[in-house]
Amino acid sequence: MKQLVAYITTGYPDVNFTADLALALGESGVDSIELGVAFSDPVADGPIIEKANFLALERGFRFQDILSVSKKIAKDVDTLWMGYFNPFYQYNISKLLQKASSLHVSGLIIPDLPHEEALLYSDEFEKNSLANISFVAPTDTKERIKELVSNAQKFIYLVAYAGITGAGKSEDLQKIVTDIKSYSNTPVYVGFGVNEKTAKEKSKGVDGVIVGSAFIDILLQDNITLTQKIERCSKLCQIIKSKINE
Amino acid sequence: MYIPSASIFDPDDNGHFGIFGGRYVPETLMPALFELKKEYEKIRFDKDFWKEVDYYLKDYVGRPSPLYFAENISKELGAKIYLKREDLNHTGAHKVNNVIAQGLMAKRLGMKKVIAETGAGQHGVATATICALLDLECEIFMGAKDVARQELNVFRMKLLGAKVNSVESGSRTLKDAMNDAIRHWVTNARDTFYIIGTVAGPHPYPMMVRDFQAVIGYEAREQILQKENRLPDKVIACIGGGSNAIGAFQHFLQDTEVECIGIEAGGLGVETDKHGASLLKGRPGILHGQMSYLLQDSDGQILEAHSISAGLDYPGIGPEHAFHKDNGSVSYDNVTDDEALDAFVWLSQKEGIIPAFESSHAVAYLKKLKDIKDKLIIVNLSGRGDKDMIQAKDILKFD
Repeated sequence: MKQLVAYITTGYPDVNFTADLALALGESGVDSIELGVAFSDPVADGPIIEKANFLALERGFRFQDILSVSKKIAKDVDTLWMGYFNPFYQYNISKLLQKASSLHVSGLIIPDLPHEEALLYSDEFEKNSLANISFVAPTDTKERIKELVSNAQKFIYLVAYAGITGAGKSEDLQKIVTDIKSYSNTPVYVGFGVNEKTAKEKSKGVDGVIVGSAFIDILLQDNITLTQKIERCSKLCQIIKSKINE
Repeated sequence: MYIPSASIFDPDDNGHFGIFGGRYVPETLMPALFELKKEYEKIRFDKDFWKEVDYYLKDYVGRPSPLYFAENISKELGAKIYLKREDLNHTGAHKVNNVIAQGLMAKRLGMKKVIAETGAGQHGVATATICALLDLECEIFMGAKDVARQELNVFRMKLLGAKVNSVESGSRTLKDAMNDAIRHWVTNARDTFYIIGTVAGPHPYPMMVRDFQAVIGYEAREQILQKENRLPDKVIACIGGGSNAIGAFQHFLQDTEVECIGIEAGGLGVETDKHGASLLKGRPGILHGQMSYLLQDSDGQILEAHSISAGLDYPGIGPEHAFHKDNGSVSYDNVTDDEALDAFVWLSQKEGIIPAFESSHAVAYLKKLKDIKDKLIIVNLSGRGDKDMIQAKDILKFD
């Protein structure tokens, strides 16, 4: 069965909602939750996730909130932390990874910490049995892909196109997927621009999809209640899960 | 002819100056950065490339810029003050030195599209100028707040044929302009050259821009030896991202008798939260592709900077400066908005030279130096004040 990973921005509109939503998504077929750490300067994100980041910060999101939400959800649904490197770095990487491990978090996804800079921390990740998710981009050469995936843990995050999250772009990924598979048995998940309409197409030849902006888009709607937001996200999750497994 | 030389302060192969620098960008950009690094290694010491740069620097920019003995302020201070006149460059500041070389690199790489971020608009104008000269398509990212307060520079860029994107996100200033330039670059990495305006960003930019700006110190060293037959006691320059300062310091850093001093924006005072003193008040962190000192809260969220000069209004600083601070190879201090404004008037009325608000910070430091008597000092006058006229007119209110 192909897997579905859901990204949600922690603390928008508040932490209790984030925990409720994560648990509801877990019951609706999401295999892993990416708990997003809001950041003031999210350069890999498009306008939707950027807005959720700003709103979460405006409403008082603190790094501590990631820990409290993880405590509530990580035993019930597989949880990863997703965020830009600076907030993690400020917490102190050694302390951070111990904390993540003790809260049953399974890995971290850090879009601005490429392979070369991550090497410094690989022992710490290993010591705490945490995956530092490897990214592969459509701009990468075969030679680089080999380097990136040779030690990949949990899953490989294949960026669907050169661009930022939530853009309506697509690129032919067939060759790059073949290249990845020739070097690694780690499952490959595609992220960026995956929604109800694109999920089936984007999941071709890979083992799962990562969905962010499509969920956040529902969270940002201001004419529906929080309960309705959870219902709609759960419904979206069921649709995407069945589409990728058709 | 100026050609960069290898330095003991060159970063390692992945761009690290000690713990600082590096490449903290989305994977999509890594191949573009590898290609840029490879290209830079090819041209760094290549005579033909530098001959071409030299031609434009001489005939187009007007280099070498004079090292001017500022007699009147020297008398007042009881010292010997020389001004390195980057303000006399074409487009009015040191920015053009870097942009010419990066523009020629874009051409060599066969890229027709160029993007750049800008704060006050000086780097945007310089980039638009070079794109007009070299027939490159130019798109500039500028915070909406800066677009409003630097209307004249926005018009200049448009007149030169550039497209100006007003950035509405975040604090709507330089930091956010750079975020959007990076987003555009991630999306168009295959055919777009990003001309970064200062010694910041992911490797190889900090090293590359430093090499391009080091022509300042290379000339100044030769000029001061010719005029005074000795090295200066101090070299002073203002720091936003830090390119004019690194450029001025580079050829003096290994002379123990020369003290290089970088001046940060003290804004309303470093004891307030309205300043741009990242080295003094920040902590090491990661933003815009690099590890360096950053103004940030305890959670690592980036704070807004403040300075009277838009060019120093940035919460970070080039990673090589972060290294020099910790290493002790450069001294750093700061000057407030008021002190800079005072120096802006002082230099105008004493020497008939109107400095940019940025450069006024370096000039102002002369009055704060305690041991200035009989010293030989070079101040890097990084830009001229034309762009600041409207703002100055509102603040100074001469009758």
